[in-house]
Amino acid sequence: MPTMAELMDALPEPIEETAAQPRGPLPEMLEAWSLRPVPVGWFRRMRVLGSLQAQVGAAYLFHWLRGWFKDADENKRLLAETHWRNAIRVLDSMSYLRGLAMKVGQTLANFPDIVPREFVETLERLHFEAPAMHWSLLKEMVHSELGDDPENLFASFDRRAFAAASLGQVHRARLKTGEDVAVKIQYPGIARTIREDIRNLLLFMLPARLSRDWENAKEQFDDLRIRLERETDYELEARMLAKARPLFREDDGIVVPRVFPQHSTARVLTMERLEGVHLEQFLAANPSQHQRNEFARKILHAWYRLMYAGRLYYADFHPGNFLFMDDGRLGVIDFGYVMEIDDEIWNLFRKMDRALTTGRRDDRLDAIRHWTWTTDEPPTSERMRLCDLFADWCWRSRYHRGEFDFGDEADFREGFDLFLEMVRRRHTRARPITPMISRQQFGWRAILYQLKAKIDVAPIAEEEIRVTGWDRSDYAHNHENHRNGG
Amino acid sequence: MRVTAQTKAATRQRILDAAQGLFAAQGFEAATTRDIARQAQIAVGTLFNYFPTKEAVALCLVSEAHARAAEQFAADRLADSAEPLTLEEELFAHVAAILRKLKPFRKYLTAVLDTTLSPLTTLSPLTSEQADGDQPLRTVHLETVSQIVLRHGPEPPSTVALHLYWTLFLGVLAFWSKDTSPRQEDTLAMLDESLAMFVGWLTTRTNQQQNHNSGG
Repeated sequence: MPTMAELMDALPEPIEETAAQPRGPLPEMLEAWSLRPVPVGWFRRMRVLGSLQAQVGAAYLFHWLRGWFKDADENKRLLAETHWRNAIRVLDSMSYLRGLAMKVGQTLANFPDIVPREFVETLERLHFEAPAMHWSLLKEMVHSELGDDPENLFASFDRRAFAAASLGQVHRARLKTGEDVAVKIQYPGIARTIREDIRNLLLFMLPARLSRDWENAKEQFDDLRIRLERETDYELEARMLAKARPLFREDDGIVVPRVFPQHSTARVLTMERLEGVHLEQFLAANPSQHQRNEFARKILHAWYRLMYAGRLYYADFHPGNFLFMDDGRLGVIDFGYVMEIDDEIWNLFRKMDRALTTGRRDDRLDAIRHWTWTTDEPPTSERMRLCDLFADWCWRSRYHRGEFDFGDEADFREGFDLFLEMVRRRHTRARPITPMISRQQFGWRAILYQLKAKIDVAPIAEEEIRVTGWDRSDYAHNHENHRNGG
Repeated sequence: MRVTAQTKAATRQRILDAAQGLFAAQGFEAATTRDIARQAQIAVGTLFNYFPTKEAVALCLVSEAHARAAEQFAADRLADSAEPLTLEEELFAHVAAILRKLKPFRKYLTAVLDTTLSPLTTLSPLTSEQADGDQPLRTVHLETVSQIVLRHGPEPPSTVALHLYWTLFLGVLAFWSKDTSPRQEDTLAMLDESLAMFVGWLTTRTNQQQNHNSGG
């Protein structure tokens, strides 16, 4: 098991410096920025959680920034330095990045055997126990958003948050009509601050457009921007919940909470409260293999149903978003980062279905070329080789014959190593949706890994994909024969 | 003709009601004392017997709303004794109660701030005699703050602490009066940050003081 330091080493190399070379102001600043505690301010109350996870998150961001800068030649580097300083200053002032750094940390929490145990434990708590706004502020937010005090609007309202939400927090409450609800409330003004800051940041970074990595970096930033904007738009989340909920029938055993629009605004979201435990607690009770497999199946059914029937891409696969309910149902509770699949991406998914289904290398390479705009790249190139290995890792469980052992540590590590290798060699450039999909791949795999699930994925996919009406006769049928040994 | 106290009070209230209506309808700048007098159905000269300036009318409206907020805050605190609030929460709740009551006057608050509430407008803002005479609002407000601080610590706040607090409070009011964010949500964040800063400073000072006392 690698240590945290080894993981850090695996990331892009820092700017080369020799002892004789005076340290320029930029590396110093970057260094300082990576080492200091993440700026506190809006989120200063979260410091009670300790800042380990935030520091690690910041360090990742820092490595990424440093790697990006590495390729500029000396003149450009000097030219860009002033602008960089400004950009970093803005980054520095974006104190909610602490929230984002937490997100990075949360993703890492998905890798229990790869990152140190104590780190994961800190993060596990972080998912659900982050106090932020105090009661008086919260009360004013509710009053200003819903027009009255929480005590008057609800039959009961817990003063203490029971979960941290993206840039806000969640409280238990009961409606006057008797329903138990979870009320998610956002810190005042944070959504607009983010939009303005990101606009400023991109302005400061304009000179960096000269660098060859600009497009790649811009995509990463766009991903970040879209993510933050989506997660702070509770009205959008309410629409996504309303769209997703009817996709599931009672016998699916999958529940998406109902939204209560009269108690919801862009900053306050009131949802049905589902009772259940999170992954860690579920596992602590030593569930049987059958129980673990059942939940794993439901997670996949939920994901595919949202994708194929709802054309919704569920991007936020972290364990805090799933509830393991006593009656065996699965609750999918967070729709803060769900993308509607547009026609372009839908067509790409359509194209990729062949590769996903057959597992043939040629089909896979074809799909990769479409995905990465590298139509003329030979299959023997280093880039194609790595992309293929990674795609094979991502999709393997889908075309694997019979039960796939998601608890296989070596297999899980392989994907992680391949991804780090791709990042190191900068082969990650592709469509804007790619960073999200990579994160999502690790997200769902990590959950199934922790569940040590052994399930056959293909029948689940085949069942869910029917609704698309895609003509798959020339490959799905053959594939079935192939799977059955025909 | 002898004007009874009752008549006086009624006239004063008529002026205040008229002013509030006009300020809301036309804005503070556009409304004149002549308009207010006409609306209140009195002579302009009579109005000046009660209030020397238009700003004085505004200050009176604001002070009265402030007084109602103070009463509301005290009542809420008694009713809501289930779970004790922290110092920061209580200070926040106090200002939040005031902002709610002052909401109808938000847009012309700057006029009052510029002319009367500003720390720059009084020679000695910290003396109680002057405060009692001219600044019931400040006296009432800082008295409440003193009580809140005393509930959470060993000593009432020093005059320096109160002055610092007052400056922050006025800063929040000034920000609020110009706040264009949806439902003035930025003011809540500003207030939150301001009070966190004040409480942080106050707590550090108190701890230092205690260490100093116990050490010396």
